[in-house]
Parts: sequence; structure tokens; C-alpha cells
Amino acid sequence: MKTPPSGIPKPEGTYPPTEAMLAEPVPEDLAKAQTARLRKAWAAPPGWRYPSAVNNTEVGKWYCMTALSFMLMAGVMALIMRLQLAVPENDLVSADRFNQLFTMHGSAMMFLFAVPLFEAISILLLPGMLGARDMPFPRLSAYGYWSFLIGGIFVIGSTFFDAAPRAGWFMYPPLATEDEGPGSDIWLLGLSFIEIASIAAAVELIVGALKCRPPGMRVNIMPLYAWYVMVVGGMILFAFPPLIAGDFLFELERSFDWPFFDPTRGGDPMLWQHLFWIFGHPEVYIIFLPSIAIAAMVIPTVARRPIFGYSWIVLSAVGTGFLSFGLWVHHMFTTGLPSISLGFFSAASEAVVIPTGIQIFAFLATLMAGRVKMTLPMLWISGALAIFTMGGLTGVMLALAPFDFQVHDTYFIVAHLHYTLFGGMVFPVIAGVYYFFPFIQKKLLSERLGKWAFWLIFSGFNLTFLPMHLTGLWGMPRRVYTYPTDLGWDGLNMISTIGAFIIAAGFAIFVWDLIRPKGHQPQIPRNPWDAGTLEWTHDVPEETWGVRSIPHVTTRYPLWDQPQMQARMDAGRYYLPDAEEGKRETLVTSVIDAEPIQVQRVTGPTWITHLAALFTGGAFIFPTFHLYPPAIVSGALAICCIIWWLWTSTARPPEADSKDVGLGLRLPTYAAGPSSVGWWAMWITMLGDATAFSSVVFGFFFYWTASPDFPPDGAAHAAAGWVGLAAVAFALNWMMTVGARQLNRAGSVGAARLCLVLAPATAALGAASLIVSVWGLAPESHVYPAILWALTVWIAAHTGAGVIMQLYCLAGSLFGKMTPRYDADIWNVSLFWHFVTISALVTCAVMGLAPEAL
Amino acid sequence: MTEERTPDRREDQKEFAEEEASLLKITLGPLIWAAHFVVCYGLVAVTCAKGWDIGAVRIGLGGLSALALAGVLWVGWAAWRQWGVTTTGDRVNRLGSAEDRHHFLGHAAFLLSIISLIGVVFVSLPLVLIGGCQ
Repeated sequence: MKTPPSGIPKPEGTYPPTEAMLAEPVPEDLAKAQTARLRKAWAAPPGWRYPSAVNNTEVGKWYCMTALSFMLMAGVMALIMRLQLAVPENDLVSADRFNQLFTMHGSAMMFLFAVPLFEAISILLLPGMLGARDMPFPRLSAYGYWSFLIGGIFVIGSTFFDAAPRAGWFMYPPLATEDEGPGSDIWLLGLSFIEIASIAAAVELIVGALKCRPPGMRVNIMPLYAWYVMVVGGMILFAFPPLIAGDFLFELERSFDWPFFDPTRGGDPMLWQHLFWIFGHPEVYIIFLPSIAIAAMVIPTVARRPIFGYSWIVLSAVGTGFLSFGLWVHHMFTTGLPSISLGFFSAASEAVVIPTGIQIFAFLATLMAGRVKMTLPMLWISGALAIFTMGGLTGVMLALAPFDFQVHDTYFIVAHLHYTLFGGMVFPVIAGVYYFFPFIQKKLLSERLGKWAFWLIFSGFNLTFLPMHLTGLWGMPRRVYTYPTDLGWDGLNMISTIGAFIIAAGFAIFVWDLIRPKGHQPQIPRNPWDAGTLEWTHDVPEETWGVRSIPHVTTRYPLWDQPQMQARMDAGRYYLPDAEEGKRETLVTSVIDAEPIQVQRVTGPTWITHLAALFTGGAFIFPTFHLYPPAIVSGALAICCIIWWLWTSTARPPEADSKDVGLGLRLPTYAAGPSSVGWWAMWITMLGDATAFSSVVFGFFFYWTASPDFPPDGAAHAAAGWVGLAAVAFALNWMMTVGARQLNRAGSVGAARLCLVLAPATAALGAASLIVSVWGLAPESHVYPAILWALTVWIAAHTGAGVIMQLYCLAGSLFGKMTPRYDADIWNVSLFWHFVTISALVTCAVMGLAPEAL
Repeated sequence: MTEERTPDRREDQKEFAEEEASLLKITLGPLIWAAHFVVCYGLVAVTCAKGWDIGAVRIGLGGLSALALAGVLWVGWAAWRQWGVTTTGDRVNRLGSAEDRHHFLGHAAFLLSIISLIGVVFVSLPLVLIGGCQ
């Protein structure tokens, strides 16, 4: 089926720019007028409207500070735990309170600090490194941030009401499923909400790194940070969805007693462990890689030479990304799996050391080959490398199953994981804070306070966690709230507690340095570290436009190798130096070679994201207290907000089809299908969605593998006739959706509209038939009907979303938002339906064929 | 090794044209590793749970491992040719030209195929060294 062209013009004019074009000066009065227009278009809203800003610089800052606040709270919880453990048989806190503290410490550090901080830092820095004006979807970042704030406060706030989750941060059933009170629900729903915000950020960052690079920045010269962002974004898409699927099953069990993890009715708690750790282990690398990416930016600067082994670092990022998905069972070595299975995971756990080690060696080689200038960021990086290496070594030990059997669930594990997380995340991130602070705040942090903070945290850290290896080897289990005196653990625990307070003192100094008033500080130099990458072309004092003009980049370290670039950027010599219509715009370039292909309008300040986040929050938070009607109302309002947001400000027909972007180049202002950023965002989102769906299907086959009677003898099955009808209806729906896209493009608007009327009807018929097919089954009775119901609920919910999208396109067609020429919406919707149709047909196959086949 | 050099005229300009799929191509080696890993783990898990013949499965998976190794070697060889270090003498590919991007993607794919090779060998070892489902 060949798609007719839409008639949107192709890029025209000169590219790449010639040296003569670049050398020609910009007339002064023109430059002045451009500057004024640009400044006006990108200004953050003043006064009380400030929170409605969506600029990546503002949202990124809020995001970072929020994550820091949650981290400090989780740190205080750790201090309380250390106080409780300082002496044997202590009664400072009760056992129940202690359970809440360690559960929330782990959950908050992971879900409210480490992962969101990656997103926060990337949103803040990535556009600068890529010379872009902003991220491609600023409102999506803002929506993600407000969701994170609401969800985070809800989850961590439960601690103050003595209602926090208390089954450990990995929520193993049956402990977590049977737990009384709302703790487990708060964990499940609150964190699911935040996970969805994470996926939104991942989509934004991947599209940013792939499509918003400056012209000329091919993949072999992009900053290493962008490589890491791409890898980590990809990992989030495959790691978070299994957990979301797990949460979905878990919450169905908690709320409606569907027995997914209850062995008395055919369920299996091991399924949760698998789904959790398929998420949980890659997650460690999701935290580690972007932090080490900061080291990859700092090290060339301090060594004053290009990174040694650029391709090797790309290898290690991509290789670690893949291998980290083959490790999850090393958290489950003691669950009684066949030893040959343990062998696979042990082998993969040892293999992942190789790429991880390669990047460390590449860093060391760069430092050895360069002339190192010891700066404060470098001090923190050195600490990171030392600590991370020690954590890595105990990791190699733990990857060996027999050793793990001995120390499983002891303080040895606690020591190991803190060494990897402090070395792999906390230290490099603090290095990044010192390094990028001049870029973020246009101020410098104190050298003296920074050294104090470093030595306190570094020595305190080792004092706390080095003895824990021994505490663990001497048998102290993790998560006990107290211990008797005669086991030889007393002294070691006291040392750890003292160390913990030294770390806290270091953090107090660091945070003070961060927030102390710096008004008296003189204006800083623009590139205080003499770095070579694009973010250091920033404007001092601050401008909100990102870059004055988007440069043509031909080297890995443009500030070192393209000496005239800075002056030309400032003069507005390069691309998009103006905002003639007073609208925010950035360049979209091709994926591999970064050839300019489109001018993308980006959205400005708004309150709709706040409303959407608030109502989405309601949809997740009300069910925690079993308040379903308000949750449904809240969800409906969230959908209305999002529709309004999309309708008013995305993929609107432009005033003109193309515009002059400078240097003799004319670019289209509208794109549909694979060349548009929206289509990429949909594609990436649906990849994550497909992963979550696969996890539910995996659950089905897991039950079949794990239990001898699945489906149980004589069990009622889904009604085959209705399942067949559903499959036919979904196939018809798909044909009509794609048909609508093709007919609309070909100009047959009336026929396209007819398709868009019929498609939702067939989709609804499909979902209804599926529901009818399982209607007679009792999901509380056994896991077999429960999983069939779960699949049905999944498909029905997606159908609902898909129907709304089809009607959105129909409305677009009726009201002139969508025309044969400007048809991005229907392209994205048909992409959505490609995925959902496959999911629906797989579901029909599982329901209809499995009873015969298994 | 980092100074400017004139592009090799023998190489066809078209070869360096934008390779949309090439970003995915560099993940081919790791994808073979992943597929091999999933099949090994999944099949062994089902075999042990259902009491199938683990001996036969081990032999079959041994054959699969040989196939996976051959696949990775082929990917590595193609990537080595794309990198072309023996003809260009350039190990760094740091310039913003289509040619350097082309060679760079070859280099990255080559290195990834080495890691995948090690990964496949590592993951195959339990099949050889561990007797069965106990």
C-alpha cells in the first residue's frame, strides 16, 4: 500500500553551510531586533505565574531540588535506623516502625531520588549539550515533573502517618499481599504513577538525543552523555514495564482478591520476584550509567584532551545496557531454581563486568594521557572510581552462586549495594553538581566547602560500610530491628552508626553550599573549566533561549576545535537566530547524520500540565483507599485535560509550510509520520507498552511452566466463539484505522471520516466480545480465570484509549485541525493501533488456542 | 593519528550515505546474545519444571550456542570490514564526515560483537559444566 505524498515541501537550499556564509557578519541592528524577539519568546513567566514555566532550565531545576529533598528525607530515615542499631537490644523505634523505615528508605532512594534524578539532570543538561533550544516536548517534561512531585509527596508522606509500606522495597508476596493497612497499596499505586512519569521522561530524552541534535552532529561525534541517555532511555522502556505489569497484577490481587501470587489458588509468588527483578537489576544500571556519563564529560575537561577510546565507551554503554537484562536471577539465587539456570545468570553477571570495566579503564587512560588539573569535580570522580571499584569487586564475588548462598540477606549485601550506589551514582552526581553548577546557576560553588564535604562523605562512607562486610560475614541479617549483645556485632554496628553521622555532616555542608545565598559573587567566566562541549557556550548572565543560534557542529569538542563557533553563535550567524512569529521553535534533524529536516514548534508556559498531573494523581491515589468513584471521575478529568492540551497546542496546521532558518536554508514547519518527533514518541511509548503486555503474557506461560495443573482439569475456558468474534472485530478496526489514514492522505476526506466512525464501533465490539467471552469465569476462584480476566482488562483499557484517539482524529477532520496535508494525528493513532491490534490478537490466540494446546 | 586525512577515493560515496538502520545494526551482536540467553534460560526452565529430557536439551542448546557463535562471528567480521582500520589506518574516526561516521559505526559494532562473543561463551559454559536440574 503506497502512501501518497502529503505535499509538505522538502528542505531546500544550501547544506552544509560554506565557510564564506559563516564568515559573513550579521548586521548589528538586525541582530539586536532578533535578540529582543528571541528573548521575549523564551522568557519564563514572571511573578506568581513562574510555576507555569515549561523551559527545561526551570523544570530541570525543580526536578533536581525535589529529588534532593526526597533524598535528604530518606537519608534521615537511614540515620534513625543507624541510631536504632547503634547498640544491641535498643528500643528507640519499634519493630513495625523500623520496617517502615527500611522499606521507605530503599523505595525513596530508588524511585524518588536515583531514577528521577537521572531524568532531572538530563532534562536540565541535554539541550545545552546538543545546542538545542529545549527538549522536543517541554510540556511532557513539566507534566512528568508535577506527577513526580504529587506521587512523591504522597508516598513519602505516608511515613508521617505511620502508614508507610513495610514489606521491604521489593514487596515480596505473600508478606506484601497479606499486609493489613494501606502501606502496600501506597507503594504500588504511588510508585506506578511515578514509573509512568519516568517512561514519559525516557520518551522525551530518547527523542531529544535522536532528533534534536545540532546540524552536523553525526552519531560518531555526539557527546558521550547523549549516548548514555539513549542507552538508559532504551533500558527504561524495557525495564519499567515488567514492574508496571507486576504492579497491575499485584493491585488486582490486593483490591479484588484475584490470586496471582497465592499458591493455594494456583498463583505463584515467584512470578512477582521475576517481574520485580527483571525491572530491578537493569534499574541498577539505569542509575549507574547516566551518572558515569557525567564522569565521561568531566574527565576530558580535567585531562584537557579528547576522551580516550570513544568507541570503547559507546561499546561499554550499549553492552552494559544489554547484558544487564541477563542478571536478574542473581537476586534469586536462594529460591531453589535449577542449578543450571543459576549458572546462566551467574555467567552473565560475570560477563557484565567486562563492559563496565572497559569504561573505567578508558577513563583512566584519558587521565594518564592528559595533563590533569585536579579540580573539585575531579576529586569527587576519583572518590567515585575508588568506591565503585570496591563495590564491583564484591559484586564479582556475589555473582558466584555458592558465595551468594552464604551471605544472602546479610549485611554483606547491604555493604555491597551501598558501595556500588555511592560509587556509581552519588559521587559522580555530586561531581556533576560541582562541574555543572556554573552552567545551571551561573555561580560557582565553594572550593573549601566542597573539599570538606568530600572528605567527610568519603571517610564517613567507608567508616559506615566497610565494617558492614564483616558484620554480614559474621552473620548479621539485614532488616532486623535489633540484635542480642553476645554475637560480636556490637562494635561494628557502633562504628557504622558513627560513620553514618559523618556522612550526614558532609551532606549538610554540601547542601548548605548549594543553597546559601550567592548574590555577592562576581560574575563567573563563561567557560570556567575550559571544557570543549557545547553546553559551555551558555550565556552569562543567563538567557532563557538555550542558544542564541543553533550551530553547525563538525567536531567532538567544538569549543576546542571550532574556535570561531562561539562568536558566530552569539552573533546569530547560525540557524534559527530569530523568532519572527514570537513562537518557540527548535530544529529537528535526522537520526544518524543530524541533517536539518524540520523546524519544530515547541510549547510554552501553561497550567494545563498541572491540572492533568493533579487529576492523574487522583486516579492513582483514590484507589489506595478503595475510593473508586472519585478515582474514575479524576481519571476522566485527566483525560479531558490531556485532550485539551493536545488539541490546542500540538500538530496544528502552521501559518506557512516552510520557513527560512538562516544560512540559505528553508525547512518545512510541519511533519507527519516517521519524520515527525510525535511519531517517534508514540513509537517509543508503544515499545514500552508492548513490553508490559508481554510481561502479562509471560505470566500466563509462567503459570503453565511452574504448576502441573494449569489450566486446571475441567476448568471453564473463555467462550471460543466470542474470542473469535473479538479477533475479527479487532482486525477490521485496524484495517479501518489504516484505511482512514490512507484515504485522508489521498484526499477522500469523506470516506476517511466514515472509516473513523466505523473504526471505534468495531473496536468497541471487539473489546465487548472479549469481555463477554470471560464473563462467566470467576477470577477469585483460581489464577487461570484471573489471568484471562487480566488480559481482557488490559485490552479493554487500551481499546478505550484507542477509541478516544480515533474520535479525536474524527473531530480533527471535522474542525480543520487534520487535513490531507496536515495529518500527523492519524499517523500517530494508526501507529498506536498497530501495537494494540497485535496485543489484542495475541490475547485472542492465548485465550482461544491455549486450552487446546496446553 | 588524529590529523586530517584525505578521504579514500576508492570507496564509493554511496556507501557512506545515511544508514537509517545502522544504529540498530550495531546492536545485532548483543541481540544474538540476548536471543541465545532467553532460549537457553527458558528452555532449561521448562525442561526442569516439566521433567523433559535434560540431556537432549543440553545437546540441542549446544548446537544453538554454536549457531549463535557463528552469527556473532559473522556480525563481527562484517563490522570489522566496515570499520576498515587496516585500509584507512584511522582508529579514532573523530571527524564529522559521513566516512568517519560509517567507520565509527563499524568499530562500535565490532567491539560489541566481541562482548557478545564473550557473553555467548560464558552463558554456554553452564550447559557444559553443570549436569542437570538438581
